[in-house]
Amino acid sequence: MPQQLIKVRPTKIELVKLKRRLKLAQRVQKIVKDRLSILTMEFLQTARETVEAKRKLVDAFSGAYKALSMATGYHGYIALEKELIATEADPKVVAGSRNIAGVRIPSFELRGNGKQLRGYNLVDTSSWLDHAAQLAEKCLEATIEIAELQRSLELLGMEIKRTKRITNALEYMIIPGLQATIKYLNMKFEERDREEKGRLKRVKVLVARG
Amino acid sequence: MPNSLPYEKMLQECLRGELRVVNAGLPRSQKQLSALLLEEYPHVICSDGSTHFFKRRELEYLASMINTDEQEALLLPMLIELGSNQAEAAIICQTDVEEKVISKTLSMPTTPKQGRITIYKPQLALLRKRLKTTTQYVFSPKILE
Repeated sequence: MPQQLIKVRPTKIELVKLKRRLKLAQRVQKIVKDRLSILTMEFLQTARETVEAKRKLVDAFSGAYKALSMATGYHGYIALEKELIATEADPKVVAGSRNIAGVRIPSFELRGNGKQLRGYNLVDTSSWLDHAAQLAEKCLEATIEIAELQRSLELLGMEIKRTKRITNALEYMIIPGLQATIKYLNMKFEERDREEKGRLKRVKVLVARG
Repeated sequence: MPNSLPYEKMLQECLRGELRVVNAGLPRSQKQLSALLLEEYPHVICSDGSTHFFKRRELEYLASMINTDEQEALLLPMLIELGSNQAEAAIICQTDVEEKVISKTLSMPTTPKQGRITIYKPQLALLRKRLKTTTQYVFSPKILE
């Protein structure tokens, strides 16, 4: 694709300005490219972790439902409901953020409520319910993990898209345009020099003829 | 004739903006691991005024690798410097503890040179996987050289 020349006055000052601009554009490109490579690495890492977390989530939920149905079968639906109504779970999710190469990523962490017991009566219940409760807690952990990873993936993806646009603009439009204009100006100055030389020679001949 | 000033200004703004954005997550000051373990919500304040949270699980993982004296010497977040060479990164080491932590995390011996441990992209990915919140990228001015 032929590069579009920037409209500038063909003067030496403009050439110096253009060279300065080119250097600046190349510096921006270097930073943006480095940032893009880091963001891509983080994106791929997060994508791998998301797949793993999704698998864990599905496993955790299927295990928890199985354990809950076993507990329901053992205790009976009404008895189990009576026990679980009294259960007070107060899980705390600490939400914060972290920064990856300029992208603010959410960070969630599940903290226990500090209670040793789950709240239901240990005398009237069995280990089936303990097992179901344990697996349900794992489900909660997996859900929070996937929430963090999916949002990170979205944010990283959006930032990669934006950064790629800047990189492409610099690589395919701005820098080649500047280079082409610098080349054009250099050629123009050389041409002017040659014309000047020719003119001087002609003047010299005319003077010699007298 | 078109005025070149807005164009120049745009490029300057872009450069300044990019440098500001990429280094916005840098902490104003690092904190000791021992101090962070005592905090209810372990965090540091970044240069742009935002907060960078540490995951307790990661802090406990780091604490399990080193003794109490070393926990006081280890400053977090650890800084990963990205230089002009895109294939490698350098971890800034202020003490020997960073070297110990990195070599244990990556399960390989590391040698710091001029206060920096050089690692390559696959190792960087592994390190970031294990220490997501306790490491932070620094885009060094050397990148522009």
